[in-house]
Amino acid sequence: MRTLWWTLAIAGMSLISIVLSENRTFDPLQNLSLTVAAPIESGIRDLADPASDFFQGVFDRGDIVRENERLRRELERLQTEVAAGEDARRRVRELEEALGFKDSRPDDQLVVADVIAQDPSGLKRALAINRGSKDGLDEGMVVLSRDGSLVGTVSLVHDDFAWLRLISDPNSAVNIAVQPQGEESPAARGIAVGDLRSGVNLEMLPTEAEIKQGDLVTTSGLGGNYPRALLLGTVKTVEEKPQAPSKRAVLEPSAELSALETVFIVTSFKPARLSAP
Amino acid sequence: MKYLVALAGAFLAAVLTASLSPYVRVLGVAPDFVLIFAACWAMVRGQGEAMFVVPLAGLLRDLTTSDPLGLSVLALSPIVFLALLRELRPVESDFLPALAVVATASLAYSIISMTVLTAVGDDVSWGTALLRVAVPSIIINPLFAVIVYPPMRWLSPRPRPVSFGVGSAVQL
Repeated sequence: MRTLWWTLAIAGMSLISIVLSENRTFDPLQNLSLTVAAPIESGIRDLADPASDFFQGVFDRGDIVRENERLRRELERLQTEVAAGEDARRRVRELEEALGFKDSRPDDQLVVADVIAQDPSGLKRALAINRGSKDGLDEGMVVLSRDGSLVGTVSLVHDDFAWLRLISDPNSAVNIAVQPQGEESPAARGIAVGDLRSGVNLEMLPTEAEIKQGDLVTTSGLGGNYPRALLLGTVKTVEEKPQAPSKRAVLEPSAELSALETVFIVTSFKPARLSAP
Repeated sequence: MKYLVALAGAFLAAVLTASLSPYVRVLGVAPDFVLIFAACWAMVRGQGEAMFVVPLAGLLRDLTTSDPLGLSVLALSPIVFLALLRELRPVESDFLPALAVVATASLAYSIISMTVLTAVGDDVSWGTALLRVAVPSIIINPLFAVIVYPPMRWLSPRPRPVSFGVGSAVQL
């Protein structure tokens, strides 16, 4: 009987608490707890970084992992430049075609943040950072890796901390354009959707689009929630199904999403959902 | 005093879970030290203490993650029922039932979490989540419980015999 009463009490309090939490009632409490936990979590992450090399493999594999990481970052930087160039070329052509088109994208203003925690549940792909509403962050703002590729958006803001939703989270959807390299064919537009299994899927791509492994994937700017021409990564694999109404592919993100340490939040770009009256 | 120890242990487990998860993923899943701590405490110290420690651990976990406050309290609550295994003693070993409780609690935790997240409007792909999160956690969490349970059992005070009339029993 005691266990039954306990269960009813816990279930009742939990459900009330979940409802209140969804209404942001406990934000100050969660901000306070992250304030207490953040220094400890950062310390543990610093300690765990070298230990993870050991955990991942054997003996001297750490050097290879570090070298791989350095090369990956270099590749990401170069891909970002190529994507910007590709997009610039395409845009010049579009501007020539559509006179009067004006680039309304202002110079980006960025806030630098350190990653302090990661959502452990496995059901989400979320990171906590040490910047919050006091630093000008708002929900929906775009988050970039330190090499400039898109990694996600701000999903929950406290005073001093915020949670980011990565592009690999199942609740993430980004309008994208697959840029065929060195070809005059138009970019194929679709949606990048997070997936627990494969990371990021590219969906709703036109069946007639020529998409190959290695093609660059950038934001299309459609919908107004992301700036145009932000690099997400490259096409990893393409799923060919003749009967399917649209083409699917899997994205290889440019940034190592599971090992982000520093990110940039674009505060100058107001997503449509924030700037709407 | 014992509840202060439980508070410190649960806080450490919550911090470890939030900070170490990217570094210790096995089969794509990170061990949930809060769940392991709560389940091991329940099996070492009994259902009575679990009724306090399990909600406490859940609360601390929710405060350090992006989950709505109360989700982990609810999702960890089956541990209190599973702690009955300690009293039932289906096998002579204390250790094997503890691992079984951790494994079962992991599955229950995933299913309750997925239900709550679906209810609050999150997009949860049940098939993928069961296959990629729930099932691996049944294996991964007991693996790490192998590290947590023995020291907890060793540090816990031994039961001392007490007399009840003509019979005898043990009391923690």
